[in-house]
Amino acid sequence: MEQGIVASPVVELENVRREYLVGEQVTVALDGIDLVVERGEFLAIVGPSGSGKSTMMNLIGCLDRPSSGLVKIASDSTSDLSDNQLTALRSKAIGFVFQQFQLLPNTTAIENVMAPLLYQGISSKQARVSAKAILKRLGLADRLNFDRNRLSGGQQQRVAIARALVTNPDIVLADEPTGALDSKTGAQVIELLKELNREGRTIILITHDLEIAASAPRRVFLRDGRIERDERGAR
Amino acid sequence: MLGVVIGVAAIVALTSIVDGASQGINKSLATLGTNQLSITALAPDALSEHDAEELAKLDDVAVMFVQTQNEGTIATADKRVNARLVGVSAKYFEAVKPQIALGSYLSSSKYSSSSKDVVFGADAANDLGLTADMLGKTVKLNGQDFRLVGVLDDQAGFGTSGRVYVTLDSARKLFSQYPYVSSIVLQAATPEAVDSLQISANRQLRESYGLGADTDARFTITNQASLIAAVSSITDTLGLLLTGIAGISLIVGGIGIMNIMLVSVRERTREIGVRRAIGAKQSNILTQFLIEAIVLSLAGGVVGLILGEIAAYFLAILGDWVFSIQLETVLLALGFSLVVGVVFGVWPARTAAKLEPIDALRFE
Repeated sequence: MEQGIVASPVVELENVRREYLVGEQVTVALDGIDLVVERGEFLAIVGPSGSGKSTMMNLIGCLDRPSSGLVKIASDSTSDLSDNQLTALRSKAIGFVFQQFQLLPNTTAIENVMAPLLYQGISSKQARVSAKAILKRLGLADRLNFDRNRLSGGQQQRVAIARALVTNPDIVLADEPTGALDSKTGAQVIELLKELNREGRTIILITHDLEIAASAPRRVFLRDGRIERDERGAR
Repeated sequence: MLGVVIGVAAIVALTSIVDGASQGINKSLATLGTNQLSITALAPDALSEHDAEELAKLDDVAVMFVQTQNEGTIATADKRVNARLVGVSAKYFEAVKPQIALGSYLSSSKYSSSSKDVVFGADAANDLGLTADMLGKTVKLNGQDFRLVGVLDDQAGFGTSGRVYVTLDSARKLFSQYPYVSSIVLQAATPEAVDSLQISANRQLRESYGLGADTDARFTITNQASLIAAVSSITDTLGLLLTGIAGISLIVGGIGIMNIMLVSVRERTREIGVRRAIGAKQSNILTQFLIEAIVLSLAGGVVGLILGEIAAYFLAILGDWVFSIQLETVLLALGFSLVVGVVFGVWPARTAAKLEPIDALRFE
């Protein structure tokens, strides 16, 4: 899959509004959002806390549905899906990378990476083969059976990235992936994401850090639940 | 989990106790024969051998024997102890068939009223320190010489072990109460005939002594079958009661497991969120937590089973009954813990499955 040749949108947001009822009060987290992400793009969603970027991540990540407007992920609208259908879409289309790594407790690196495949109903044997291959690719061949307590922060985040990639998703959704890492390890993680993007993977990075955001060729700035600007090109 | 351990251990131990005890009692009673009626004298002169002979003529009587008994002394050359001396008529050993450890019965073929042979019960033999080489030798009963022909087995049956058996005529010469008998035992031809035989025996004895229907009799008639029925109804009730108590501990244990699981769901909310994010369906989360509850409960059940069987083993030694691990008890114990796990695991598991992924991920 090469960028530019197949220009098919993988994320489409049309006039999206997301509001929450907090007590009696309606809080608008996102309003009037229009956004198209093409397959193979590397995009950063940037904004201070409270700008609506977590809500945006939840909507793109199929963890939440819009109050109004349309969210289409890999051509499927999320609005009319049941919980199971939304889970199936999430499982197929999205790979999550979290700020705190969020490796599963009491499981080894390889078991963490196998988990998404097992939830898809793939046999344990097949899942192990795929998980091993991707961990090897990320330089963790000698850490397969380590649990999270025996892995460094950078290694844990690479395991989490392997877990996000193992299902071969349409989009890798990374929420502050360097937030819990020192700057050197953080830079390595960003470099890895860039490399994955060069291979054709769509990467959406959610961050409040302008410096981290600068590593993405496209940057969408959020403020008070609206898109403030949409920048392209290196800074 | 402790509740499940205690509950299951209690069920296992109690089932074994009730089983063991009722087996022991039934075995003892069964040696007396389920077709039997025992007519026991309430006064020394209440029954005579003539009564016995008349009762033997009733319809459906297959076997009749008579016992007369009194306290006396038994002695060898160097030891002397007290024992219960029992005179039995020819059919006694044939009807009761106590197990013999050494030698032989006073068998009906060799039974002669003038015989001076004696058979010892196991305890009486132990009390006197009898050994196998004493067979055929002389022992003294109330000072008279008798020849030891047999010793009964320890397990011979209800009430036989402390006794010493001689012929009826020999017993008469040992006691002064000739011609009284202590008890008459009638064996019915079939188990079904026992009840009607009891009625006709009672009527005949009352008529022969001129007793009215409402006059107190000087004898009692005991029906072995009804005795066994009474005993098993008592052990059944006891079993039910104890199972009820064990059931309450299981419920308490189940509530404990439910609490553990609810705390676990709360502590692992973020993990649940991550699992949902990486593709777990609600049903996957439900299954995971349900299995965890079942494993917890089954683990408690296995520990309880082991502790219960150990307790049952020692109680069997104390109560002198046979210890055995019953497959039903094992299945019952594991079945109960499985059910407890499922019943009390469902709610926490549903709570976990119903969590919204975004709320779970945001949970601190």
